[in-house]
Amino acid sequence: MNSFKPMKSCAVALATGLLLVTSGVFAQAAPATAGPNDAQIAHIVVTANQVDIDAGKLAESKGSKADVKAFGKMMVTDHTGVNKEATALVEKLKVKPEDNPTSESLKKGGEDNLKNLKALSDGAFDKAYIDHEVAYHQQVIDAMDKTLVPNAKNTELKALLVKVRPAFVAHLDHAKQLQAAQGK
Amino acid sequence: MLRSAAGACALVIACGGGGIGEAAAATGTAHTVVIEAVKYEPETVTVKRGETVAWVNKDPFPHTVTAKGAFDSREIAAGKTWKFTPRKAGEYAYICTLHPTMKGTLIVQ
Repeated sequence: MNSFKPMKSCAVALATGLLLVTSGVFAQAAPATAGPNDAQIAHIVVTANQVDIDAGKLAESKGSKADVKAFGKMMVTDHTGVNKEATALVEKLKVKPEDNPTSESLKKGGEDNLKNLKALSDGAFDKAYIDHEVAYHQQVIDAMDKTLVPNAKNTELKALLVKVRPAFVAHLDHAKQLQAAQGK
Repeated sequence: MLRSAAGACALVIACGGGGIGEAAAATGTAHTVVIEAVKYEPETVTVKRGETVAWVNKDPFPHTVTAKGAFDSREIAAGKTWKFTPRKAGEYAYICTLHPTMKGTLIVQ
């Protein structure tokens, strides 16, 4: 336990940070409940996917290496697919996604990332994009495990989260592979 | 166009081999691999030459079933199925080219 590697402790720090942020904002937004309700979870899911779709689109056009461009394209395809399924479920359940501070913070983070990436080019763009993808997917997986899945009340919504989680893990692993291959 | 042509072709071959209905499934001449949650289930499938294997993509995004030099489904769209009837015995390790962390094995006897 006391031999944390830098990467791991970084991820833990990120996760803890997100948890603090989410618990903090939810304590403010809904003092009576510990976590987000289903309408807010639906909104967080759709926003989290959209943020990565937007970054993926930028990487598709601005990426330098072919594998970075391909990864960006895959992010667009996969997260669009997940959002289609999430939207279909939300319509079926007649849940109206509800904006909330976590969604706001995800959106803001996404916008900041795009701004940062747009100022970069070539290898610097590739590196910044992939580094962010690693951190972002880790952050979303942690949010799923600690906040979204435990708080989801509707069984179908919970099932959807559980079903798409491995996709986020696969993306994280893939992004880590690209990260490790950079500079070689 | 290409994909649907290939699909139809696989179906014709499967039907030619005695059909892939319930009876065929009961005698084990049809095999299904479900692609869900970014995994092939089962990961390893063993078939006899001439038997048809169907990969059913239940994820909301595309996957491929690709064994370099042996077979390649190209992109199987969400909700779609790709069928393949191997003619040569061997052990084929395959991956999804879109998600390289996905691995499966087709053993043809």
